Amino acid sequence: MSSHSHVEGQLPHEPERATLEGRNKITGFWLFLGGETVLFGTLFAAYLTLRGQIMDGPAPNELFDFLLVAIATALLLTSSLTSVFSMQAMHRKNTKALIGWLLVTLVLGAAFLGLEIYEFNHYVHLGHTFSASAFSTSFYTLVGFHGAHVAFGLFWVILLLFQLKKRGLNTTTAPKVYLFSLYWHFIDVVWVFIFTVVYLMGKVG
Amino acid sequence: MAGHEQTTPNRSDVKTTKQEGSKKHIIAFIFSILLTFIAFALVMAGEINTDFVYIMLVVLAIVQVFTQMAFWMHMKDRGHTFAIIAILSGVVVVFTCVIMALYWTTW
Amino acid sequence: MAHAHAHAVKRRTGIMDWLTTVDHKKIGVLYMLAGGFFFLIGGLEAILIRLQLMFPQSEVVSAQFYNELITMHGTTMIFLAAMPLIFGFMNAIIPLQIGARDVAFPFVNALGFWTFFFGGLLLNISFIAGSVPDAGWTMYAPLSGTTYTEHHGTDYYVIGLQIAGIGTLVGGINFLVTIINMRAPGMTFMRMPMFTWATFITSALILFAFPALTVGLAALMFDRIFNGNFFDPSAGGNVVLWEHIFWIFGHPEVYILILPAFGIISEVISTFSRKRLFGYSSMVFATVLIGFLGFMVWAHHMFTTGLGPIANALFSIATMLIAVPTGIKIFNWLFTMWGGSIRFTVANMFAIGFVPTFVMGGVTGVMLAVAPADYQYHDTYFVVAHFHYVIVGGLVMGIFAGMHYWWPKMFGRMLSEKLGMWTFWIFYIGFHMTFFVQHFLGLLGMPRRIWQYLDGMGLNNMNLISTIGALLMGVGTIMFLINIVITMRKPKNLSNDPWEDGRTLEWTIPSPAPEYNFAQTPLVRGYDAWWHEKMDGNTKMTPVEPIGPIHMPSPSILPFFMAVGLFIAGFGFMYSKPIDLGLTGIAIGAAGLLITFGCMALRSWFDDHGFHIEEEEILKDQEGKA
Repeated sequence: MSSHSHVEGQLPHEPERATLEGRNKITGFWLFLGGETVLFGTLFAAYLTLRGQIMDGPAPNELFDFLLVAIATALLLTSSLTSVFSMQAMHRKNTKALIGWLLVTLVLGAAFLGLEIYEFNHYVHLGHTFSASAFSTSFYTLVGFHGAHVAFGLFWVILLLFQLKKRGLNTTTAPKVYLFSLYWHFIDVVWVFIFTVVYLMGKVG
Repeated sequence: MAGHEQTTPNRSDVKTTKQEGSKKHIIAFIFSILLTFIAFALVMAGEINTDFVYIMLVVLAIVQVFTQMAFWMHMKDRGHTFAIIAILSGVVVVFTCVIMALYWTTW
Repeated sequence: MAHAHAHAVKRRTGIMDWLTTVDHKKIGVLYMLAGGFFFLIGGLEAILIRLQLMFPQSEVVSAQFYNELITMHGTTMIFLAAMPLIFGFMNAIIPLQIGARDVAFPFVNALGFWTFFFGGLLLNISFIAGSVPDAGWTMYAPLSGTTYTEHHGTDYYVIGLQIAGIGTLVGGINFLVTIINMRAPGMTFMRMPMFTWATFITSALILFAFPALTVGLAALMFDRIFNGNFFDPSAGGNVVLWEHIFWIFGHPEVYILILPAFGIISEVISTFSRKRLFGYSSMVFATVLIGFLGFMVWAHHMFTTGLGPIANALFSIATMLIAVPTGIKIFNWLFTMWGGSIRFTVANMFAIGFVPTFVMGGVTGVMLAVAPADYQYHDTYFVVAHFHYVIVGGLVMGIFAGMHYWWPKMFGRMLSEKLGMWTFWIFYIGFHMTFFVQHFLGLLGMPRRIWQYLDGMGLNNMNLISTIGALLMGVGTIMFLINIVITMRKPKNLSNDPWEDGRTLEWTIPSPAPEYNFAQTPLVRGYDAWWHEKMDGNTKMTPVEPIGPIHMPSPSILPFFMAVGLFIAGFGFMYSKPIDLGLTGIAIGAAGLLITFGCMALRSWFDDHGFHIEEEEILKDQEGKA
């Protein structure tokens, strides 16, 4: 059923944009990212409003583990770079490299998530629970929503890896991985704001 | 829905068949790491004026985001008009909310 | 490049056809059926409210039930009636107006409908469960929190709307992409019909406004179900934060409601004045400006919350600014009619009736925008009068106009003009009776949302008149329903352009439209593309392609199940507190989510290759119409 990729005998230059469906998906996904901007923006606005309300709980600059956050940031940033490499491989029609770089992205992303779960667990033991204060609720909601997006992305890329293995690169699978790549970059962009606004500004006070 | 399976010509096919610079993306990566490092350093240093640090953090974040979106998400390339409109509109709405939140809590 | 793929034609019949359809025209009908149904429920709630307020100190309904009625009336009418009916038009008409064969994402389109439907179902099941939302359609904290609303009413609201909201959001993205990418050749943005522009801007508003609602509802849910503290002052939370988040969504929402109606009015007035819309460019610009400004004014719902004079002044001015582009539109409609050859069809009666009525609603809006004055108007019936004038006198009239105008294109039959005229006058007179007096009730000090009012306050007569007006509107609505029933019995024997004055592309194809919309994609040579051709003496559009097999998307049951999964998940999480079902609730919630995400995975894994409608069938359709 992959006769679609052999219409002209070989894959077109930018396979993700070669069909109307592909172009629709890309346009639609950018619009979706615009909506996600507002989603995270609202969460940020709520966090900014409530970040001073720590009640009896630990304050941000006592609480946050900066080494952990730095490592997590490095992991996510690198995973964003590897997803760039995967797209370059796709445009060079190198399916093996595409799959390889996506796998690396997956591993780095999973490491990020693992660290974050460890971090949250650590905070809970320090009294920074979801219900402790308005600060804690908005912290876990904002950072948690981001983490949930990372988790969804990981499931998504696993599904895509199976599809690539089974069907290879064609004008149907190309838009899907391109979309994943956009999503993954966006998640990293949101993380830039999270470590800036939540962790770094939290430290400054 | 004609054209679902067929490859239909795409305007930005005409664009550039020049080699996709791996270099550009790696530079963007290193730049991002650098910006992140500066941000962390500013905060860890401790003795610096807090207002200055806040402003620098925001500036560093925005620059890094611009870099990633322009290079890694191809927003500087052709065919991204609506992408830019979509993200910019989202940013305008968010900016309004954030300004209001800051005004409300700190004025 | 024609393919001769032998994909089996996947046409379903009967109820399976409707459950699995990804055809935008059928989805449009589904939205209208469901929206119409919820409109009747919301209308019944309204009648009960008015019956309770007919006389002073009545006890037609209990106070608790009254609170439930006002909450559900508002929520149902806005989210489950008005928006779906608008989506119904958008689905039925937009692809036809831009010369496309479908929307960009047919599967997601179906998903949007089913999530809306199950969200609305969940919300109304609250009546059966005995825990109905009762804290007002705006669900202000702390009333909506667990301290003051222990029962599950608020949860039904939160989860029902969250699910329905997902549908709306994906629908918005769908129409944006459709309009951006799938216009017929020659249709530049500035040659699009006004209803298409209105849909475009509305969809952008949906895209940027609904995520704020998502956050607000999620925050309220976290507070209620997981012991969060967003809106709990005792833990550092802030109740006014709810208002900010809600109205950042809520204000664009009302523009989402009205802009499509503006689009319909532009189409109807222009068509039945047999004259080009006056000031097209300024209409487009005004629509964009209204959309943009709509995000800058939300705090005019919060003048009395203590934001301070600077904030109040800024939001006051921004709100008044919106009157300018709106005024431009009103004048453009008037100038369109001036010098035109006007036909007073029922559709046009509703459209012409819309103009002064909406202006009345608009000017009371400007009055409310004056922050100091609003301290007097706030929470009185003056506000109720204002928003009903713009929503009912505006949006609902627009919907009726659209129904009469596009019924032939959707169903191949014309609604009865005679019965339609009766409907119009009874509804219109009833409307003004109901809501005009409410301005004065408000100015006399009658507060909103009260269950009873005392005798001897000067409120009796006007409340009585208002109730009689409401009953008249009910009669008008029933007449419209009768009109539908008798019309459906007529034969489907209309031409492509039954009004004979059609200006836009939907009037170039059969009534009702065939499954594939256009046998051949048309070439667009100007604004009012069909009128342009008619004025040049052509009897049909110039096609850009030969007749060939047309690729169609396959029907699918997955959208239905994805919505069911969310429905189940909603119930599970709603009852997951230890006092209810505890961990079992969480398990049910997880199971529901698994169904939804599982269907998403299936959809990703099994690519849809669609099916083809072959040339013979298309040629047969064309002969049948010759």
